[in-house]
Amino acid sequence: MISKFGSKVPMQSITRVSRRGFIAGAGTAALGLSAALAQAQQGRLRIDPADFKPIPIAIPPFVPGGPGDADVANGIAQVITNNLKRSGYFAPLDQAAFAERITNFDQVPQFASWKPLSVQGLLTGRATRQGDGRLKAEFRLWDVNSGQQSAAQQYVTAPEYWRRIAHIISDQIYTTLLGEKGYFDSRVVFVDESGPSDRRVKRLALMDQDGANVRYLTRGADLVLTPRFSPSSQEITYMEFGQGDPKVYLFNIETGQREIVGNFPGMSFSPRFSPDGQRIILSLQQGGNSNLFVMDLRSRTTTRLTDTPAIDTSPCYSPDGSQICFESDRGGKPQIYVMPATGGGAQRISFGEGSYSTPVWSPRGDYIAFTKQGGGQFAIGIMKTDGSGERILTSGFHNEGPTFAPNGRVLMFFRDPGGTAGPSLYTIDVSGRFEQKVPTPGYASDPAWSPLLS
Amino acid sequence: MTAKDLIRFARTRKGTVLSVALHVLVLGWGLFSFSARSMVAPPEDLVPVDVISEDNTSKAKAGALTGKKEVAKLLADKIGEKKPTEDIVGKVDPKPVTETDAAPTPQPKPEKPVEKKPDPPKPVEKQPDTPKPVAEKKPEPPKPAPAEKPKPEEKKPDPFNPDQIASVLNKDKPKQPPKPQQTAAATPEPPKHKSERKFDAEKMASLINQKDPTRQAVTGAELNANAALGSARGMADSNIASWSGAFQTAVRRCFGFPYNGQDADLYEADIDIPMRLDGTVAGEPRIVAVRGPSRSVAMAMAESARRAIIQCQSYSFLPKTQYESWKLIQLVFGLKDLR
Repeated sequence: MISKFGSKVPMQSITRVSRRGFIAGAGTAALGLSAALAQAQQGRLRIDPADFKPIPIAIPPFVPGGPGDADVANGIAQVITNNLKRSGYFAPLDQAAFAERITNFDQVPQFASWKPLSVQGLLTGRATRQGDGRLKAEFRLWDVNSGQQSAAQQYVTAPEYWRRIAHIISDQIYTTLLGEKGYFDSRVVFVDESGPSDRRVKRLALMDQDGANVRYLTRGADLVLTPRFSPSSQEITYMEFGQGDPKVYLFNIETGQREIVGNFPGMSFSPRFSPDGQRIILSLQQGGNSNLFVMDLRSRTTTRLTDTPAIDTSPCYSPDGSQICFESDRGGKPQIYVMPATGGGAQRISFGEGSYSTPVWSPRGDYIAFTKQGGGQFAIGIMKTDGSGERILTSGFHNEGPTFAPNGRVLMFFRDPGGTAGPSLYTIDVSGRFEQKVPTPGYASDPAWSPLLS
Repeated sequence: MTAKDLIRFARTRKGTVLSVALHVLVLGWGLFSFSARSMVAPPEDLVPVDVISEDNTSKAKAGALTGKKEVAKLLADKIGEKKPTEDIVGKVDPKPVTETDAAPTPQPKPEKPVEKKPDPPKPVEKQPDTPKPVAEKKPEPPKPAPAEKPKPEEKKPDPFNPDQIASVLNKDKPKQPPKPQQTAAATPEPPKHKSERKFDAEKMASLINQKDPTRQAVTGAELNANAALGSARGMADSNIASWSGAFQTAVRRCFGFPYNGQDADLYEADIDIPMRLDGTVAGEPRIVAVRGPSRSVAMAMAESARRAIIQCQSYSFLPKTQYESWKLIQLVFGLKDLR
C-alpha cells in the first residue's frame, strides 16, 4: 500500500539568458510576452468535446387524440426512436427511465423532472384521427434546460402514411439538433434474394430506409444486379440477365415500365445516374476489357469516356456532376481513379494494399466510399476525394457495395457471411462507430439509397 | 588637446585604443547581463504537490517494518504494566519520547520488561522467544504450541496467541534474524487482541497505550498534513489557471456534438456566459459568433454548447474572491480532433 505523500515544491519559471544570446533572448521574451498579451486580450477559453458522444434525447409515446389513436401514437414515437438510434448520432433514452408520463400535448412538460436525465431534447407529440378520416400528427421538441421550444410542426395525411410522418419528424429533429439535413424520409432499392444458394431467386425490391414497407419490383424470373436510384426518385437503373447479353435497364417505379438503356452490342453493366438525372453512365464490355460510356436520356446519344485495354467499371459522378470516380485495373490491380466528367486524363487516388472497387461519391462531396479487398478480407471504407485520409469502417468476410444516405453521414452496404447463409444489409456511420443490421424479409444485397423524398 | 591630437594619438597607439574600447564593451556587457539576471528573478509561489517517489515508498514500508521497534518498546511496557495498570499508563507516556530516539535506545528498555515478565505467568512466552533466535525462525510457531500444551490447549488462544502472532511476524521478517529483541517485542503485540476479547480492564488500558504510539509511528499520514495550505504569501488563490482549467473540464463534461465531417476543425462558436457569485449562470449564455463551412451546423453546435453550459451548472468551485475575473466567462467551443 502506498499512501499519498505531500511535499512543497516551489514552482519556478527558470529563465536562463546566456551572455551571447542575451539580446536575442530579450527579443524572444518580448515576442512571447506580446503573444501572451494577445491571448489574454482574446480571453476565450477553448472547449472541445472530450469524445464523440451521441445526443441524449427523450421520446415519450405520442399522446393519442382519441381512443382509437393509441397504436399510431405509439408507433410514431417508436419509429422516430428507431430512426434516431440507428443513425448513431442520437441516444434515445430508455422508456423505463422517463421522468414523466406525457398525457397532455398542450401542457408544458415538467422540465425540472427531466433535467436530471441530462437529455438535450424532449419530444412530445399527439396523433389524432380527424373527422375527415385523415391523420393529424403534431410534435414539439423542447430544450429541457431552458424550457424553450426548439421546433414544432403539424402534419395531416392519410392514416396509412403515418410512418412517413414519423420519418419526416425524425428528419426535423436531426436538422434541429445537428444542423444538417436528415436522411430518414428516404427509400432503399435492393436485390431481394430467396431460395437455395445454387438456385437463388433475385428480385428487385424497394423499402423505407428502416426496412419497412417492402415492395417487390420484379418477379424474379431473371437475375438482377446493381440497382441504382435516379435523383428523381421515380426511376431505377439496374442490370438484368435477360435472354441475351446482360443489359442495363431503366425502370419506372410508379408505372412499372422498363426499357433497355442504349443500343450497345455486348454486355453493358454497372450503370449509375448523373446528379441531374439526365444521363446514365455505364460500362460496356468490348472483348476482354470494358470502357465507360455515358448516355443522354433525352437525346439518346452515347459518348465514350474511356478507351483503354483495361477493365474500367463502377463509374460514379461527383455530386456537382463535374467529375467521375471509377474502378480500373489499368495499373495492374483494380484501383480507384478520378477523371473529368467529359473524359480525359484519369488520376489514380487509391494507393493502399489490396484492391479497391465499387467507388461511390458522397452526396456531400467530401468522401468517396469503396470496397477494399485484401488479405482475405472485404472491407468498407471511405477516403477523401483526393485519396487521402483513408478510413476502414468495417472489415471481414464479406462486405461489399457501399451506398451513401442522402446526407452523406451514413452508409449502407451488404455483408455475406458465406456458406449456405445469404447476404444482409447493414448501415454504418461515416466514423465507423455505429453499425446496425437493416431488417429485411429475406436475404438482401446491392442496396442503393434514394435521395430524400421530400 | 584638439581633435587632431586625438586622431594622431589614436593612429599612433592603436593597440591602446582598441584595448580601451574592448574593455568598455566587455564591462558594459557584463553590467547588462547582471541587470538582466536580477530582472529575471521570478516571484516564487508554493504549490502543493503530492509526490510519491520510490524513496517515499520504501520509507513507508520501512516505517511499517521499523515501527515494530517502537511497538516492541510498547509491548514490553505493556507486559510490565499488566500487573499494575496505572503504572503502565504512566510508563507509556514517557516512552514516545524514547521512540523518537535512535534505534539503540530501545534495547535497554526491553530489558526492564524482561525482568518484569517473570512475575506474570507470561514468561513462558518469552522463553519461546529467546530460543527462537537460536532455532530457525519458521520452527518458532510450533515451539509456542508445545509450551502452551502443558496448559489447557483451549487457553492457547488467550495467552499464547501472542506468541503465534509473534511467529507470524517472524515469518514476515525471516531476513532479519539478528533482531531478537524486536521479535520479543512483536510477541507481546498479539496479547492486545486477546485482552480485547477478554474485556479485561487492565489489558484495555494497555491497548490504549499501544495505540497512541502506533499513530505517532506512522510517517505517511503526517507528511501530508499541511500540504494544501497554499503559499505563505497567499498567491495561490490568484492563480487564474486554477479556475479556468476546472471550468473547462466541467463544461467539457456536458458538451458533446456528434459531427464527423472532415471540416470539423473549422467549426467554432464564441459564447459569453454571465455568471452569478454563487457559480450559476445568470440568464442565457450569449452566442456571440459562429464560424464554419455550414452556418446551420455551426449554429447547432453553438446551441448544443449553450445547453451544455446550463446543464452542467452550478460552477460553485469558482473562487468567490476573484468574482471580477469570472463575472463574464468568454468561451470558444470547437470540434477539434472529433472525427
